[in-house]
Amino acid sequence: MRTIQTEVLVIGGGATGTGVIADLALRGFRCALVEKRDLAHGTTGRYHGLLHSGGRYAVKDPKAATECIEENVILRRIMPHCIEDTGGFFVVTPWDDDAFGDRFMQGCRDTAVPCEEISIPHMLREEPHLNPGISRCFRVPDGSADSFLATQSVAALAQAHGAQILHYYEVKQLIRQGDRVVGALCYDLVKDEEVAVHADLVVNAAGAWAGKIAHTAEVEVNVRAGKGTMIAASYRIVNTVVNRCKMPADGDIIVPVHTVSIIGTTDEGVPDPEHFAIEPWEVQLMMQEAAKIVPGWHDLRMLRCWGGVRPLYQETKVADTRDVTRAYTLLDHETRDGVAGFITITGGKWTTYRQMAQVTVDRVCEKLGTARPCTTHETVVPNPFEQGHGRQHHNLGQRLADVEKEEAFGQLICECELATRADVEHAITQGEAKTIDDVRRDVRVGMGPCQGGFCTYRVAAIWHELKKPSIEETNVTLRDFLQERWKGLMPILWGPQLKQERLDELIYLSVLNADHLPGPRASRLGPAMYEPGTVWESDHAHV
Amino acid sequence: MTNDVLVIGAGLAGLTTAWQASLHGKGVRVIAKGWGATHWHAGCVDVLGYWPMESETPVANPAATLPDLLAANPQHPYALVGLARLAAALDGLQQLCSDAGYPLVGSLDKNWRLPTAVGAARPTCLAPATMIAGNLDDHAPMLLVGFKQLPDFYANVAADNLAQQGIPARHVALDLPALAGRNFTTAVNLARFMQQSDFRAAVVQAVKPHLGEAARVGFPAVLGLEEATAVHQDLQAQLGRPVFEIPGLPPSVAGMRLHRILKSAIEKNGGRVYDGMEAIGFAADGGRVTAVYTETSGRPRQHRYDRVVLATGGILGGGIVTNHAGEVGEVVFNLPLRHPENRLEWFRRDFLDKQGHPIYRSGVSVNENFQPMNGRVVYQNLFAAGNTLAGFEAIRERSFDGVALATGFVVGNLVGN
Repeated sequence: MRTIQTEVLVIGGGATGTGVIADLALRGFRCALVEKRDLAHGTTGRYHGLLHSGGRYAVKDPKAATECIEENVILRRIMPHCIEDTGGFFVVTPWDDDAFGDRFMQGCRDTAVPCEEISIPHMLREEPHLNPGISRCFRVPDGSADSFLATQSVAALAQAHGAQILHYYEVKQLIRQGDRVVGALCYDLVKDEEVAVHADLVVNAAGAWAGKIAHTAEVEVNVRAGKGTMIAASYRIVNTVVNRCKMPADGDIIVPVHTVSIIGTTDEGVPDPEHFAIEPWEVQLMMQEAAKIVPGWHDLRMLRCWGGVRPLYQETKVADTRDVTRAYTLLDHETRDGVAGFITITGGKWTTYRQMAQVTVDRVCEKLGTARPCTTHETVVPNPFEQGHGRQHHNLGQRLADVEKEEAFGQLICECELATRADVEHAITQGEAKTIDDVRRDVRVGMGPCQGGFCTYRVAAIWHELKKPSIEETNVTLRDFLQERWKGLMPILWGPQLKQERLDELIYLSVLNADHLPGPRASRLGPAMYEPGTVWESDHAHV
Repeated sequence: MTNDVLVIGAGLAGLTTAWQASLHGKGVRVIAKGWGATHWHAGCVDVLGYWPMESETPVANPAATLPDLLAANPQHPYALVGLARLAAALDGLQQLCSDAGYPLVGSLDKNWRLPTAVGAARPTCLAPATMIAGNLDDHAPMLLVGFKQLPDFYANVAADNLAQQGIPARHVALDLPALAGRNFTTAVNLARFMQQSDFRAAVVQAVKPHLGEAARVGFPAVLGLEEATAVHQDLQAQLGRPVFEIPGLPPSVAGMRLHRILKSAIEKNGGRVYDGMEAIGFAADGGRVTAVYTETSGRPRQHRYDRVVLATGGILGGGIVTNHAGEVGEVVFNLPLRHPENRLEWFRRDFLDKQGHPIYRSGVSVNENFQPMNGRVVYQNLFAAGNTLAGFEAIRERSFDGVALATGFVVGNLVGN
């Protein structure tokens, strides 16, 4: 069996894991990260993209609110290319309690979240699509974040400082020697082989999967998976993050990210972070709640739906997952369970990933008997896509300007998201892409209204040219990506998007006959599908 | 000209209906929101490509297999058409295209297997003469030619898949000086370039060094619009071997040629075809449709015709619309539809599911005269044709054009008589 030796092994390639490895690398540790799919494949890549101001937690969870605003300020400084300063509103709609506004203001004051009340005419001048029946509006420094780009950027920073990032390495089993964890037995999905990674210390940053990982070393960590369902509509119907001003509930936020507006989210405990359904009642509820903020939401074109699982740590059983603290938890299994060489960082939220990484690596230093100060709060995270391209893919208008002024890279492969041939080639040859879905996370191909209708064929052909795989591998890569796009479409297919999908069928089945090409129909690198939804009505719909 | 027949929709079904009705001397008007799926599809006539749908092997002889299809699905639009009228429809279109100097080759008793832009074998019944040399029952080696500036066709994947299936195939991507400085060109632009003899000469000059042992040469389907036959013949003469076209991503140049031919035939017979004219409502009296309204900048415009044909397509064409609440509706007359009752039953788990997704079988039920039914005839003078009809999976069967053509042909004759 192949083996890898390192000082610190980090499990999980989401925001937390990449944050930890970057911090480790910056402090001079030899370190490696294993992620079972692509970076940000889990919860990090499946949230609504909110950079919290802390307003959301100002009343309910003051500790989390303070953490959020501290980190909000830092992230804007260290990774400006990943953040859009949309600003945020908290609005009292006709369905909400007017008096909650006062509690909200007080909460913000107590937690140092900047907040000002603005007049409704002022609000409507800035966001004319908002419900004119809104009675109060508070402005907070929310933002929207590109979590794919951020995770890539942080990982690239780690690599630049010597860290090893291992994609498509699934942890099968932590390796225990007596009362000590000494590494992890991994399965390399791409090469189809087992690899042992040995380390002095293992950091479990697997988010909602952290309990599963710990369990393989006979350590019990009770992480609940709280599923959140989100829907992206095809336009930026708002340019400001808009929150309902009430206690956190289902469907209480619309976040403008890139070209879309995202309504989120539900919060349902699921037994397994890997297998869950997007239920029709959740979709209906999101549609209904979004329409309270933006009347006429139903007439927008819905592009895609997805579900992510929040990692919610609890020492004792709590029935409603939203009552579990959003603040993170660091578990030192040596003191907690008598198992040395193993720590777990879980819970938290994207906005606080850096702080979570900092406290984790502080503990690593302590355990390895060394004192090295954290510098991530003052280290700028470079944009790994900037060199040679001058490309920021944060903002579609900016990309259009780039495409227009620099003819040289103008062949558009994805016309919806303005991804050029040069972008796609760069992602295929320079990046770690193992599937077209990985290319998507890098350059956003297939994420626009046609959901891969035109670019899947184009990217597959460029992939075939540059990677020179066997033709059967290219065929299955293409089919896997078609299925991956389908996965997030099924729950929201109606109206124009259903028509679009039928066009995509006409292209891939009838014009190209891609379903009768040689090779397997699907591969192990293909998407893990949601379970079929079954429930139209739910009493869980507590709004 | 009299107001005899109003056709709503200008896809293959609508245009065929109008063409046939106009042959009977009827005054015909076609109104359409936009052009139809001809502009998206391959520019061939697929009658039946896979049956049973889950079969890995394409149908070799549609005439011989159709009875099995009809036995399994007696509600299929082909059941109302019948084999004889289907054959007549194919003959009619072949004659029309032949007269227009753009022959469609094939017959109901044999499917071609022609290469696609990914190198799969595509079963189709009638194909333009410009595509026939790609026939995959012939194992002669081929060279596939792409253009660096055309992102809708890649010869590399097609050639490698064909080679894997036993057809010797190589590929080349041309980077012609005439296209230099263009980052992006479309099939339609290239088709116009191809009608220029100096551009063709440059293509030939660039291709020749790559010919090798290739006994035939494949191009994306961009070999001219109006002058496709001449462009095709000229390339064959200059390259000294058979040349064929392969359909790529939409828009479909080959489909646009069929559209042009049909539209010209209608206009030659005195009919009129209007796009940008979306039907938004209707009036009915005494069980008859008395008027159809389209939107103008001023007030709705009335179209009063004796007979009205609905050929607005299915979910793809926009004739059938759906919403978030799971409602399925017919867009002009709000006709009763057959469709899955529950939105949970609309889809199957896999995008490429062999049976297709049930929602796409939604459509209008008609009687043997193609009149929409709701237990009884809904409107005495209303007929429906094409993919707006219920009860079949056009894409999985590969019957998309065949159903449109055959039902349009039959309805055109019904309303023309």
